[in-house]
Amino acid sequence: MAESVIVAKNLYKIYDLGETKVRALNGVDLDVPQGCLCAIFGTSGSGKSTLLNMLAGLEKPTKGNVTIAKGRIDQMNESQLAVFRQKHIGFIFQSYNLMQNMTALENVALPLTFQGVPKEERKIRAAKMLKMVGLGKHMEHRPGQLSGGQQQRVGIARALVVKPEIIFADEPTGNLDSATTLEVMAMMQKLTREKGQTIVMVTHDNSIASYADMIVKLIDGKIVSTEYRAVPVQAQTVIDSETADSEGKI
Amino acid sequence: MRLGDLFRMSISSLFKRKVRTILTILGVVIGTISIVVMVSLGIGLKSAMLDEMSTFADLTKVQVQQNSFWGDSSSDKDKEEKRLDDALVEELSHLEHVEQVCPTVQTSALLKFGKYICYMDLTGMTNEEIARKNFELSRGTLPNSRDELQILMGNMVLAQFYSEKDYSMPYYEKGEALDVDLMQDSVYLILDQDAYYGYATNPDGSTIHAKKYPLNCVGMMAGGLDEFKNEYSWQAICNIDALKSALQKVYKGRVIPGQPVDKKGKPYKEFFYNNINVYVDDMNNVSEVQTVIQNMGYQCYAEGEWIQSSLRELNLIEVVLGGIGAVSLIVAAIGIANTMMMSIYERTKEIGVMKVLGCRIRDIQMMFLLEAGLIGFFGGVVGLGISYGASKLINTLVAGSDMGYSYISVIPFWLTLAGLVFSTLIGMMAGFFPSRRAMKLSPLAAIRNE
Repeated sequence: MAESVIVAKNLYKIYDLGETKVRALNGVDLDVPQGCLCAIFGTSGSGKSTLLNMLAGLEKPTKGNVTIAKGRIDQMNESQLAVFRQKHIGFIFQSYNLMQNMTALENVALPLTFQGVPKEERKIRAAKMLKMVGLGKHMEHRPGQLSGGQQQRVGIARALVVKPEIIFADEPTGNLDSATTLEVMAMMQKLTREKGQTIVMVTHDNSIASYADMIVKLIDGKIVSTEYRAVPVQAQTVIDSETADSEGKI
Repeated sequence: MRLGDLFRMSISSLFKRKVRTILTILGVVIGTISIVVMVSLGIGLKSAMLDEMSTFADLTKVQVQQNSFWGDSSSDKDKEEKRLDDALVEELSHLEHVEQVCPTVQTSALLKFGKYICYMDLTGMTNEEIARKNFELSRGTLPNSRDELQILMGNMVLAQFYSEKDYSMPYYEKGEALDVDLMQDSVYLILDQDAYYGYATNPDGSTIHAKKYPLNCVGMMAGGLDEFKNEYSWQAICNIDALKSALQKVYKGRVIPGQPVDKKGKPYKEFFYNNINVYVDDMNNVSEVQTVIQNMGYQCYAEGEWIQSSLRELNLIEVVLGGIGAVSLIVAAIGIANTMMMSIYERTKEIGVMKVLGCRIRDIQMMFLLEAGLIGFFGGVVGLGISYGASKLINTLVAGSDMGYSYISVIPFWLTLAGLVFSTLIGMMAGFFPSRRAMKLSPLAAIRNE
């Protein structure tokens, strides 16, 4: 088995609501190998989102430690985390979270802007990413002019542009119809196969989880099962006009 | 992040909310106008007043006066008498900040034309000092001969003539000046007034008859008969050396009025000056030079002194005016802070996304500081532009009115610069706490789906 890039040990997150204490995570141990598409699966309130936030360093655990790409992110402060995220982590959101006043190209280039990459280089790298996700003809479009699936592909390109080791995805297909969901899932599978990138995604949908190599099932803040699939369900892409036009075919 | 990118992002988010940005900038514009115009009025009033004052007072002059000779017997006799002589002139001219040292001799003289006479002061000055005064002449030239007693007549002297017989004054009683041309007609100049009235005697007891010299008036100062233009308007001016030799000739062997005497009441051989005018390179060094001269043991006096104190009052007015202006800029600053706060609340999610995508928190703070600073800067630029217009308008109105000033608003370069820096700084200060808030926002806001 490949080297572990995500190791969480004895993770607790307890929300103090005054009178009651809510245990969102109740002792979670997790080990994700490199190049793995990992799905954290659970119902609403199971603590799956909390786990993702903690792995991505967006929230601090009450107890326990998280090691990502050899970095102890539970011990980092805000500015160290920002630098760490710049270098190692990409993020895909459920509601895309694209900047509405920027073009697709500018949105993809945004993480590079934060890194201080010069403008010309940013443009070249962002354009390459957009072509790879099949949006070569939509670079100058703003999010409002794109469909949901296209917007999510812009979001994926934005997560990939910094060449991160790990990509976190929070319900990446939650706002998409079934056809585009397949497209997105196929793209994610390909990334792990061909580029060796590790993807951790959160979902409440069993069928989405089934595309993953590793399915972690969470109930009430505890991992109840971890299932490894040597041959996961292959996401069959419906070839539509959007992907067919792309130069970088997936 | 690169500075250029920070600027670009700040400007684009200002553009995104145009109306709000313009309204906030408007607040700064008004604040800048009020502070700049107020201060410009303070500066302008001061400078206009200074211009006005310097027409009748020389602000860089320190006047060294002779100590009183008459009452000095009571003071300790060991102390050397301080006299204004050529040695002192030489000494003063070597002091720091001193540009020119000009001794003067003053005497009183009588003009006689037929039955009319007129008293006036006659001041002997060096040619350099006469040139320095920039007298405006209506006719003739400046006196410059060191031998011949050439006179420059003040414009108000003619009004002072009165009849020796009935003491009537033609100008003040009839409104008509005596019909005499001081430069052409045969007017006489009498220096020895005691002799003229028959009080003066020779050592042997015989009466001295006053000598009458034909007046050699070479120039007339410009101005009406009751137009006080400067302290010399009702005096006459001549060359100091010419006056000195004239006095020595007239008072041969006797005490020249105004000259010191020894204990026996006899005159000294040397000729002493009544005043020495010391011209200083800059108005601000006047009091320093004054102190040095006083420490040398001389009495001195500077016309600039009281002007300095009234300038201090004007400085206070300037500060008060600036303070009033600053209030509105502070109100504008609160406006900026409010706008930034609103903007941060609206952009909570956007800020969260930026953080998740790896934007450093310093950069986020910088972005908001820049935004606030840019509002201040643009407000400052527009406000200064309008201030220049307002200043021009005020000056045109003032010049057209009968206030006596030709301008009262001045915007010097430093005020422009200070206005710009101040408004930008106020903007950044107003944006500081909102930017801290943006910095501290949780990246989790990006994850929440509304």
